[in-house]
Amino acid sequence: MRLLLVEDNRELADWLGKTLRQANYVVDIVHDGEDVEHALAAGDHALVILDLALPRMGGLEVLRMLRARGNRVPVIVLTANASLDGRVKGLNEGADDYLAKPFQIEELEARIRVQLRRANDRTAPVVACGDLVFDTNTRLFSLGGEALALTPREHAVLEQLMIKAGRTVSKAALSAAIYDFENDADPSAIEIYVHRVRKKLEGSRVQITTLRGLGYLLRQDDLAP
Amino acid sequence: MRTSSLRLQLLAWVVLPLAGLATINLWTSQRNALATADLVTDRMLVGSARAIAEQVAMADGVLDATIPPAAIEMFDTGDRDSVYYRVETAGGRLLTGYPDLPVAPGDKSIEAAYRDHPLRLATLGHAVVGAGADSPVMVTVGVTLAGHDAMVKRLWFSAFVQQLALVAIAGVFVLLGLRRGLAPLISLRDAVRSPSRSDLDPVDVPGAQSEIRPLIDALNAYMERVRAQMGAQRRFIANAAHQLRTPLALLSTQASYALRETATEARQEALVALQASSGKLARLAEQLLTLSRAEPGSRRPRADRIDLTEAARHVLETQAPAAIARKIDLGLEEAGPVAVIGDGTMLREMIVNLVDNALRYSTSGGSVTVRLATIDGEAVLTVADDGPGIPPEERDHVFERFYRVAGSTEEGSGLGLAIVREVVENAGGRVTLGDSAAGGLVVEVRLPLA
Repeated sequence: MRLLLVEDNRELADWLGKTLRQANYVVDIVHDGEDVEHALAAGDHALVILDLALPRMGGLEVLRMLRARGNRVPVIVLTANASLDGRVKGLNEGADDYLAKPFQIEELEARIRVQLRRANDRTAPVVACGDLVFDTNTRLFSLGGEALALTPREHAVLEQLMIKAGRTVSKAALSAAIYDFENDADPSAIEIYVHRVRKKLEGSRVQITTLRGLGYLLRQDDLAP
Repeated sequence: MRTSSLRLQLLAWVVLPLAGLATINLWTSQRNALATADLVTDRMLVGSARAIAEQVAMADGVLDATIPPAAIEMFDTGDRDSVYYRVETAGGRLLTGYPDLPVAPGDKSIEAAYRDHPLRLATLGHAVVGAGADSPVMVTVGVTLAGHDAMVKRLWFSAFVQQLALVAIAGVFVLLGLRRGLAPLISLRDAVRSPSRSDLDPVDVPGAQSEIRPLIDALNAYMERVRAQMGAQRRFIANAAHQLRTPLALLSTQASYALRETATEARQEALVALQASSGKLARLAEQLLTLSRAEPGSRRPRADRIDLTEAARHVLETQAPAAIARKIDLGLEEAGPVAVIGDGTMLREMIVNLVDNALRYSTSGGSVTVRLATIDGEAVLTVADDGPGIPPEERDHVFERFYRVAGSTEEGSGLGLAIVREVVENAGGRVTLGDSAAGGLVVEVRLPLA
């Protein structure tokens, strides 16, 4: 799951990024409100974490601009201004949630999960496909009741396929979901990650099907015993 | 303490002199009444004597004095006065009356005592035709003073009542006037004391006199000053709280990261960063505290004799490890002690902030120089770095609290230069910014020499 973090305090941005990556999110960081639109266009992020006090273009302005252009990406606003007025203003401008600094990372993560669940029209925190289960709270996969060990990239690939289970996910979409701006997208590497995940799913009742020219599809294997 | 009442004071100032005047007035009016009564009595006495004298005539060669009743009855004013008379010849032979009644000399009437009663009596000489050596006859009439005194009393009493009424009415008007005059003061008091006044809004007292208006204006001006100060304080606290939120979020994020990380190295890195963050937060808290101490009125102004050179040396020694770690050449150039008068703690804190700023904005491998000199009878402290400097258009703003130069990536609090300015101005000096030879910033502090 790829997130965009917009925060001008570089240290806080770095450490928030690190902590979210720890939880298997793919995180891009920008420090400036003016870079947000460009970043979103390039990264197809599932969610934006937006600080309000930004140089050049303020967070509220960014939010207004995004909504004015019809971008419906979920936005969680972070701010040092915890006044009621500030919160209401943020929500009125189209923020989906609001978190005042200082916050506990657990709360930010819980709110991220809520927003992602809502964006994917899910209500249950657990997604299942055959005997493959993804708990969005712990952000861990399990296969037949056993924890499934995955590298961050493999995790990103499988998460993307899982969320769209039963539907085709293009190579480009997979690529956008797993690479951040720091790492240049390498479409050929996608095949390697898919291959590795496939191997880890061997012997289970789910499989990843390749549709040439279209992409990949995660589905329940009806033929398996 | 003696409490003084404006009412009582004004009442005393108006009513006491008035009462004094009234007393003098009463005394004169009593004298007048007495004189009037004397005059009236004397006229009656003379009239009575004349009436008696006119009845004295020669009858059959003998002087005959018959007392006409009217001459006595004219004294019957209802005061039960006794009337005494005595008619005698020029030779002193008593024709009729009381032989031992005193005689008034000349034309004047006198007061005398007769039969233990005070009397007023008058004597009239009257020529009788044909009386020869017996003419003129001397008629003396005396009357006790009951009627006279009653007249005095009556004349005087009405004056007394008038004066008393005058004083009382004046007192009442003073009180009424005061009540009216003091009404704006009372409503000012009520307005200030009103529990519904939460803010320091200006007080408006409609109908206040021009004498009270300055008091209200002064009070409003004072409240305005207090309000401005409170507003600044409130903004500062809000700003300070705001400034603390992001570092706290960072601290909590770093702690969470370290707790979750299983790899020893990454965990170590997070803990080191956490330590650095808490150090910065402590520094920020210290700066906030310094600033609140530098606030006018928050600390008793101290006038220590401080050697700036010594203070700078001490600060540089403390900052040296940080400079060495960043490979910054930190140097002191001095030519002996430079003594100034001021608050030692605050002046040292001022130098700490200058050096800290210079180190913060200098690039690795740069240099920071602190110079001390005595120029034109002033102590001059300069701190020069070779960092990015401050654009001229920003220089007025960087002394404002929490102001950060736009586009600056360094994590400053925006308080350092604000502290420097407040401390320097409290010590009677001034601070200016300039360009250093290396293209960085030079901060120059000038303070009066001790």
